[in-house]
Amino acid sequence: MLGSTNNIGKYYVYGSTLISAFIVFLIFSILLVNSWEAVTTIGLDLFNLNWNPATREFGIWSMLFGTLVVTFIALLIAVPLGVATAIFTSEILPSTYRIVVKSLLELLAGIPSIIFGLIGIAFFSIWIQNIFDLQSGRTILTAGILLSIMILPTIITLTDDAFNNIPSKYRETAKGLGLYKYEIIKEVLLPIAKPDLKGAILLAFGRALGETMAVMLVIGSIDKIPDPIYNWLSPGQTITSKLGREIAETSFGSVHFSAMIFMGLLLFIIVLILTIISQNSLKSNGRLYE
Amino acid sequence: MNRNMKNRLFYISIGLAVTICSLILLFLFGIIIWNGLPAISLDFLTNSSTNFGADGGIVYQIFGSILLILFAALICLPIALGTAIYKSEYLKNEILHKILNTLIYSLNGIPSIIFGIFGLIFFVNLLNMGISWIVGSIILSIMILPTVTLSTYQAINSIPTVYRESSSALGLNKWQVIVQVLLPQGFHGAVTGLLIGIARAIGETAPIMFIATAFSGVELPSSFLEPVSTLPTHILALAQQATNPVALQNAWGASLVLVMLVIIFSISALFIRLRHQSISKS
Amino acid sequence: MKHSYSLFLLLVILILNSCDKKQAINIAGSTTVLPIISIAAEEFRKTNPDIGIIVNEGGSGVGVNQLGEGKINIGLVSRDITQEEIKAYPNVTFNTISIGKDAVVPVVSSEIYNSGITTLTLENIAKIYRGEIKNWKDLNGPDKEILVVDKEASRGTRHVFMEIILGDKEAIASGADLVLGSNNEEQTAIVQSDAAIGMLSNAWLNEDVKGLNIKMLDGTVIEPTLENIINNKFPINRDLLIVTNAEPTGEVKKFIEYLLSSEGQIIVEEAGYVGINQ
Repeated sequence: MLGSTNNIGKYYVYGSTLISAFIVFLIFSILLVNSWEAVTTIGLDLFNLNWNPATREFGIWSMLFGTLVVTFIALLIAVPLGVATAIFTSEILPSTYRIVVKSLLELLAGIPSIIFGLIGIAFFSIWIQNIFDLQSGRTILTAGILLSIMILPTIITLTDDAFNNIPSKYRETAKGLGLYKYEIIKEVLLPIAKPDLKGAILLAFGRALGETMAVMLVIGSIDKIPDPIYNWLSPGQTITSKLGREIAETSFGSVHFSAMIFMGLLLFIIVLILTIISQNSLKSNGRLYE
Repeated sequence: MNRNMKNRLFYISIGLAVTICSLILLFLFGIIIWNGLPAISLDFLTNSSTNFGADGGIVYQIFGSILLILFAALICLPIALGTAIYKSEYLKNEILHKILNTLIYSLNGIPSIIFGIFGLIFFVNLLNMGISWIVGSIILSIMILPTVTLSTYQAINSIPTVYRESSSALGLNKWQVIVQVLLPQGFHGAVTGLLIGIARAIGETAPIMFIATAFSGVELPSSFLEPVSTLPTHILALAQQATNPVALQNAWGASLVLVMLVIIFSISALFIRLRHQSISKS
Repeated sequence: MKHSYSLFLLLVILILNSCDKKQAINIAGSTTVLPIISIAAEEFRKTNPDIGIIVNEGGSGVGVNQLGEGKINIGLVSRDITQEEIKAYPNVTFNTISIGKDAVVPVVSSEIYNSGITTLTLENIAKIYRGEIKNWKDLNGPDKEILVVDKEASRGTRHVFMEIILGDKEAIASGADLVLGSNNEEQTAIVQSDAAIGMLSNAWLNEDVKGLNIKMLDGTVIEPTLENIINNKFPINRDLLIVTNAEPTGEVKKFIEYLLSSEGQIIVEEAGYVGINQ
């Protein structure tokens, strides 16, 4: 009896682990199998410019472009802002207040993306429209700004952890040498925290790539590359907004459906690579609590 | 520029960044509370929505959201516990450990809309379960699996080896050690992980909007295979009518309720975490 | 602990298998037809409390797809079902029933309407959507760039509109600036702008979103009024359809009969559409 519960227990933990490990493969294979038809029938034309199911053109280039630009804008804003704020919380703020800041960040991270979408439509897009005197505030820039706020907590939390994990003897030695705070951070702490910083940014990059609801509501959803290409005040489309808007309209098993799943597969692979690289550079486990 | 100047400039830019971040935080919560509070009343919380969601309350949306996460937690917990125990107590091979870690973190990183598409293909179409709340619960349970697993693992793994050794010395076999010694000690990790996971899952829209929810007419589901309405998808429908003041007010009201739910779960998680930290330190 | 879990899971599986999927009427599709169905369902359930009616939005394309895949009992479609859609679901007999009539109206932001642009020819609207006219001043309006609002490709309103304007229901509108989904979303974008043109169901016109009159080739001007929809004078009109797989039976039939009854038709008219008997 004792031995048998021991065995049952063993099978149970083996079984659960297999399930946990198997899910990623299952998702990957489902995406792969369902995008296969698009890959074989459309092939390289998948990377064309035009998307028009009526004429069986399924070029995902404008979605890919939109995704990368929106994410780039988000990182451009969030990385300097987040790193500077993390330096404040870890190096300047007395450590007794740290728990307060951490809780506030957790609150910010906890705001669901659909609420960001609501705020984006009700406020951000109108501000952008008025500030830049546009016909519509649903632009790539609007989506990028919204996204930057959404990834801010990730960057601050992980950077803060990275700085906090550096033993204080480095700071004391540097201070003893007569260095200014600025020099201590730039010359001593930043190089030590660099791998973690890289991990944090990559992780935030992955988060931003996959964000759907907020982006979908404010980006304008047009499958076009801005003209000229750096005109980010024009509407665009990301992979996620395209999926969110169009997947339910496509019939299961059609080439159209398959091409949509191909975009999903692409996103999945990119984010997976980013996650794995960032995991290797991150030492902290702060991301568990996001 | 001399060193002192540089240092001062550094402080100024840090101050600026902190100010901006604080303002953003203030603005976001200010706007949610300011707009949401006027919408909230007892009627709003206890009535069903009518007239296209623009009128009436959100009681079934609240119910649907809670139902989804409750079952997500129930489905997730046994698998997460098993995986955490395996990872902490059985897995000795370094390489396998690394692979398992990579898989868990990969699962954690998958964009939420991919889960929605996966659910649509696998459960709704291939298993032919239709658009139903149980599919939503399953998908959300997969989403929170890494968080719950890792949190449980940390709790179990941090139990000193001496506990295991002395229990084995008393004649308990491995499984008895796990069930009688490690699990009671490490269970708070699972609860913390679940609360964090739930706080994240309850606000998710993209994974459930194709597979688990309906816009209106849903009351209490009478079976596993019916859709429910949820707070996030309700906000999505109302957000599209952002110029209709009545609908917008209801959207803000629903948003405030949703944020409150998220905060309740996060704060409970924080409390449990802090309590156990102080216990293990003392 | 563990045993209660396996019991629980077993229970889940048992209930899953014993579930009768036909307990409620599942409806999804066009956001144009949705308001009618939403209200009709509320009214219908007052006299038939045992019949659950679950309504979901998503657009006409979603309605056709989900019906084709057997996920719903009734699809809401505000356009004709396309040949491709019929071909995609060979095992499904699409059975369409008209519950009302509607017009798709070219609409502009009220600022444009008030500046004097109240009437356009179909040709001019086509030029705007093709991107050949980009500024309102070319149409004797204010010097403002036109914000051209398009809709997602399988939306009913778009099919009907593009069929008349660009001659093909799936035509590409290369002049489009935004692509949006539901009527609500389209309406919101047009209200938020002061120089937008878009397409909306007649029932969505209001103070901020003005319907344009259409100038026909012979010079007559047709206003988007209910009267002109009833007598088929307004050039962009359509039937609001509900679609079932084969002839409806049981509760589904009962609900459809309610929609077609005089009570149901009052709801259609109160929602801003034209009843089938008019």
